[in-house]
Amino acid sequence: MFLRNRYNYLALFFFSYFLFIIYTIYSLQILNINESIKKIDEQTLDVFYLSAPRGEIYDTNSEKLATSSLEPHLFLNLRKINDDNIEQYKQYLKYNFQELKNSDFEEIFNSKEILFLIRNIDGLDYLERQSLLELDAFEIFDYPIRKYNYENVASHIIGYIGRPTQEEFEEYPESLKNGIVGKSGIEKYYEQKLSGKAGVLTFKGSEIIDFIAPEAGEDLFLTIDIQTQTIATESLLEGIKLANENFDSENIIQKGSVVVIDIDSGEIVSMVSLPDFDPNKFVKGISSFDFNQLNRIDAFNNFAIQGLYPPGSVFKVVAYWLAENEGLFPEGIGSRNNSLKCEGSLSFSFIDGSQQVYNDWKEDGHGNVNLSSAIQESCNVYFWDIALKIWRTYEGGSSESILQEYARDLGFGKITGIDLPFEKSGVVPDRQLFEEWTITKPELVRPEGWLGGDLMNLIVGQGAITTTPIQVANAYKTLLTGFSSPPYLDKNMQQIQKVKNFDIDEEFVEFLLNDLNLVTNKNGTAYFAFEVLGKKANDIGGKTGTAQNPGNRNNTSWFAGIDSVSNPKYVVVTVVDEGGSGSAVAAPISRRVIQHLIGEELTPVKFGEITE
Amino acid sequence: MRDRKITLLGPEGTNISIFLLFLIFNFISWFTLFVLSDGIDLNFNNILIRQIVFSLLSIGVFFLLTYISIENLQQSVDYLFAFITILLALLLTTSPKAGVRRWFDLGPIDFQPSEFAKVIIVLFIGNYLTKRKSRYPLFLLLGLILMLVLQQPDLGTSIIIGFVIAAMIFVSEIKVRYFILIILIVFSFFFIFLEVGVINQNQLNRINDFFSSDQDFQQSQSKLLISSGSLFGQYFEFSKLDKIFVPVETTDFIFAAFSYNFGFVGVLIILFLWFLFFLRLSQILDVTNSDFDKFVITGFITLLAFQIIVNISTITGLLPLTGLPFPLLSLGGSSMVSTSIIFGITNRIFIENNLVI
Repeated sequence: MFLRNRYNYLALFFFSYFLFIIYTIYSLQILNINESIKKIDEQTLDVFYLSAPRGEIYDTNSEKLATSSLEPHLFLNLRKINDDNIEQYKQYLKYNFQELKNSDFEEIFNSKEILFLIRNIDGLDYLERQSLLELDAFEIFDYPIRKYNYENVASHIIGYIGRPTQEEFEEYPESLKNGIVGKSGIEKYYEQKLSGKAGVLTFKGSEIIDFIAPEAGEDLFLTIDIQTQTIATESLLEGIKLANENFDSENIIQKGSVVVIDIDSGEIVSMVSLPDFDPNKFVKGISSFDFNQLNRIDAFNNFAIQGLYPPGSVFKVVAYWLAENEGLFPEGIGSRNNSLKCEGSLSFSFIDGSQQVYNDWKEDGHGNVNLSSAIQESCNVYFWDIALKIWRTYEGGSSESILQEYARDLGFGKITGIDLPFEKSGVVPDRQLFEEWTITKPELVRPEGWLGGDLMNLIVGQGAITTTPIQVANAYKTLLTGFSSPPYLDKNMQQIQKVKNFDIDEEFVEFLLNDLNLVTNKNGTAYFAFEVLGKKANDIGGKTGTAQNPGNRNNTSWFAGIDSVSNPKYVVVTVVDEGGSGSAVAAPISRRVIQHLIGEELTPVKFGEITE
Repeated sequence: MRDRKITLLGPEGTNISIFLLFLIFNFISWFTLFVLSDGIDLNFNNILIRQIVFSLLSIGVFFLLTYISIENLQQSVDYLFAFITILLALLLTTSPKAGVRRWFDLGPIDFQPSEFAKVIIVLFIGNYLTKRKSRYPLFLLLGLILMLVLQQPDLGTSIIIGFVIAAMIFVSEIKVRYFILIILIVFSFFFIFLEVGVINQNQLNRINDFFSSDQDFQQSQSKLLISSGSLFGQYFEFSKLDKIFVPVETTDFIFAAFSYNFGFVGVLIILFLWFLFFLRLSQILDVTNSDFDKFVITGFITLLAFQIIVNISTITGLLPLTGLPFPLLSLGGSSMVSTSIIFGITNRIFIENNLVI
């Protein structure tokens, strides 16, 4: 028999227990909520990271380029702020720091952080700081401030810093703690070294129970000489200004680059890119207006390693080396001393019967030209003849790309491996590349593919070839020393340089230096640019370049200079985008930099002779 | 109307309120596990997908049970009892998992026989008490089952089974003084077991801890977790309190996670739904003439209500930790299916008594 009344007792038991449980949960969730939150905060250890000072950056003479000074900053411990004292702190801050706006207060007191950085209090004296600390929720900690002493100068080398993005803090976990990461230049490339270790504040509830001080990052000593860098920057600015005055260019000329490389070591002595920017602006956060304005003129591009230009005649040294090395001279010429007669144009026919006429920049022609004077006067006809010789000898064969191989040996078409991020490789075109482009970029190539005319363009640095200023500088360095190695900015790289040794004999170097010397002397294309040096010009060498650009863009102005042919130490490469003739713009800029390098008195950049 | 035609759905074949509550409990479980999961991928290891598969299986079982008449069930209950006893005995021959032998390892899922033993015991006692002249030595058999479950060891399930046995005997004709005598005997047996070391040391430690001042870490954490749910729950408000670690929050501690996410309002809703369910069930007692129905319904109410009470009591620190799932909320196939058997049999009892709403 089932006893219904006994079931009622059972049900009563369950019902009362249900009510009891509901009360238990009610007391946990409603009555004791604040107590529990406090308990959770107390049993949980939270950490707050204090940025570490980044390593400082010095130039080759131990001149400070970028510093990190520790300055006292006021922090608010938000765990100690409650409904009772929030107004008191607001009033106190309002009264003492009148620059704080209402929106700032909202940001401060609604923040989910444990500590909130209020402001730099370096300007307050000891007593004022002590009076701040009397308020329980205020904390004072040293906080690093990055400062770039030379502002715009060398901004592309040093780079700038900013808040890390998702990708960046995955790559550099410490950057999340520091709240800062190098975004470009040395600051980015050596992020790991420079960043240091963030300090750790451990919180139990609202109390700081442990503090591990931040560790500063490693200092970096660069190969840069800030004095040369400053002079190169000035010279480039002057040159660009002159170019704008003298050319009736459609676009404003404002982009350019100067690279000075020490040929014995591969150290970069100076690397200028214009337009530039002031990295100090990024320390406190750049306004988007300023950023966009700078970005619109490509100020964040380091044209020394990212600017891709056809090299024009500065590229002729590749064919010069090839001609000497392989004995490949124009048809009917056996050696460097034999000459041909340049009449200002070259007409020739290909096997398929097509007739072509190529016109030199000098309409009347250069007269009798040998290898030396072809470099001196930048005679295109002579080099076109070499190209024709290569084409007619090797067309379609495995040696067809002999010129390109020489170019690649000198580092064209690939990055130099300099210790900077975002370097570009440029292009050395050949049959294979044109075949690829027929599929991937059909707008860049003719349907016939690679032709002899393309090789003729290439030999004088025109057509599809693109190079960066650093590649040109490094190629000249390689030709003059026989060593191919990546250029570098960090002095420590000296020990870990990878060097490739080429078989370049001293006799060749002598010839080359001699012929480059002719360029800056009488009859040379850069004679007028170096005239001011007087006798000293006898020891200078270089090669001008004027590369044509597609469309209505003005020519790219090039000059690759050598400080001394008797004892070469530096290669100076100058590029002015749309700067016109190399001899008129780039050469005088280089001249002023060389004046500084050889200890001569500086004279203003003067507009040179328009050649090529 | 015992010969009523049974159809799968609709007023003829299914009691609406039982089926609706069954579905609602399932959905609440899905939503809770959806909140607890890191994201859904179509993989049996994903807790939500796992529970949905178990749920669908349970709904199938629910309808399957609707086809089995109570009479047939009553006739076969002794065989079921023998079967489950053998299973529980076999379980003790398996190798222990995490120190206990509660599950048969069936590849992707684990099968826990004691979950089904609970249901079968209710039917078995119901049948015994209905046919009073039966010669089965009831207490001996129940004692055997309890021993087997204790040996796993599974103190929580043993206590539930013990309480269900006591409750069902209590509502039978037994004289109160005999009832008290039996309770006393059971308690003395319990302490004898303690002496001979049948009860797991781990369980004993928990009981000792509970009566000493330092509270179990898991329980203090789960209390904090429940507390931070506040009125509306962290799921519907901005959560700043997500740094509390609670073990097995998808199974035994799921009610703590539920309270954290849905707050006091959520707790009231789910407990009210269960109260409705128990209220609805107890109404059958005044309708049916079958004592078996009455005993079985009493057993089921006791089983589920006691399980809920013990589960919430342990996570709020009112009782020492035992490790029991919350019916139709905790992730777990055996628990889901065994609870759906209870719902299925209940449904059949309702239909046979002409209650469709």
